[in-house]
Amino acid sequence: MAERLITDVGGLPADEVPRQEVPQLFWEKHMIAMFNVLWSKGVFNLDEFRRAVEQMTPKEYKESSFYGRRLDGMTNLLVEKGLVDRDELAARTEQIVREGTRDHVR
Amino acid sequence: MDHSDHEHDHDHGHHHDHGHDHAHAPHPTREDDDVALSHGEAKFLALKGLLIEKGILTADDIRRRLEINDRGTPHQGARMVARAWLDPAFKARMLTNAKTAARELSIEVTEAELMAIENTPDCHNLIVCTLCSCYPRSLLGEPPAWYVSKAYRSRAVREPRKVLREFGLSFPDSVEVRVHDSNADLRYIVLPMRPAGTDGLSEADLAALVSRDCLVGAALPGRSAT
Amino acid sequence: MSGEPAHGYALGDRVRIVDLGKPGHVRTPLYVRDKVGVIDHCCGSFENPENRAYGRVGRERIPLYRVRLKQRELWPDYEGAEDDSLVLEIYHHWLRPA
Repeated sequence: MAERLITDVGGLPADEVPRQEVPQLFWEKHMIAMFNVLWSKGVFNLDEFRRAVEQMTPKEYKESSFYGRRLDGMTNLLVEKGLVDRDELAARTEQIVREGTRDHVR
Repeated sequence: MDHSDHEHDHDHGHHHDHGHDHAHAPHPTREDDDVALSHGEAKFLALKGLLIEKGILTADDIRRRLEINDRGTPHQGARMVARAWLDPAFKARMLTNAKTAARELSIEVTEAELMAIENTPDCHNLIVCTLCSCYPRSLLGEPPAWYVSKAYRSRAVREPRKVLREFGLSFPDSVEVRVHDSNADLRYIVLPMRPAGTDGLSEADLAALVSRDCLVGAALPGRSAT
Repeated sequence: MSGEPAHGYALGDRVRIVDLGKPGHVRTPLYVRDKVGVIDHCCGSFENPENRAYGRVGRERIPLYRVRLKQRELWPDYEGAEDDSLVLEIYHHWLRPA
């Protein structure tokens, strides 16, 4: 039998379904819109994105949140395609964390 | 090229405190002024900044897409259900091709295919995407947190009746529970049965009975709007 | 639904979802591998996600089917009703006549 993809969870044991409503944060909404813009423009397709998420480590996947997966999967794919440099992204991220501002476009 | 385009985030979305499922509330969003900048948000802002600087997209592209995404709400699905309950010919068209039926109500579904699955006295339907989070977003907006949870994705296919009981639903063995794993190109909505005691209700009142969770099979429509 | 005629399988045909043992991106979950069901719907043809996931786009479209399986045959410990079923979408190359 083939190896199980980390995303292939159908039938695996799990706890009660978490029922509380989790409001979507403002930035998450924007991130989803950006994700949509990228595939609409053909920068990547949805199957590539799913494949990128499948390529996370089991630990990363297990600890990931839904929006975290979108962001990290999208990032990994953009890095793979040479459109984003991981070091540059990390540096920019740290700068934003330090500055604590949402005024981000330089 | 001038890259000093500053986003003005003055979009004040709805803010909902409700813990329960509200029939037609747009997915709750709020201006995050009072929320500390998380690492996730910082990563997103960094990525967005880089992509804009590289000319891969613009802030306007994102704004335009936000507007499109905001059109998706559970109410759109509820409207289709209410129309189907009142108009058998529409219902037949919806069951044949829900995407083109939606267009009759000026609802633009952008997914490749949309299939409506009808609940009957003999069969209750439940929708899940075990592999990721496929959901008819252009119709309904973003799925609830429970739908994308690993617990739901794991258990809905294996022990649907137990999961349904967690949602307060139980069916006798004479009713088949049919689970649809949305694992490829189709997207699904459940067409619930019209509750008894709703004769004479207007289309809008009928739509008000249909919550977001009814459209994936995790709830049944109410009997009155109140 | 997409108006295309079905290729290969027809409504009601018994089919086995095989385990191709294929590495990488596939949309056939493990829990249905090597299980038997019936064709519930012919969905038309779509590009193979196993190609698209690696940037190979614009390739041939392959038929997609909704296959319905009995829950009692999927899970040895299934506790629900006899008639409970599960339906999912399977691409042509993952199916064999049963």
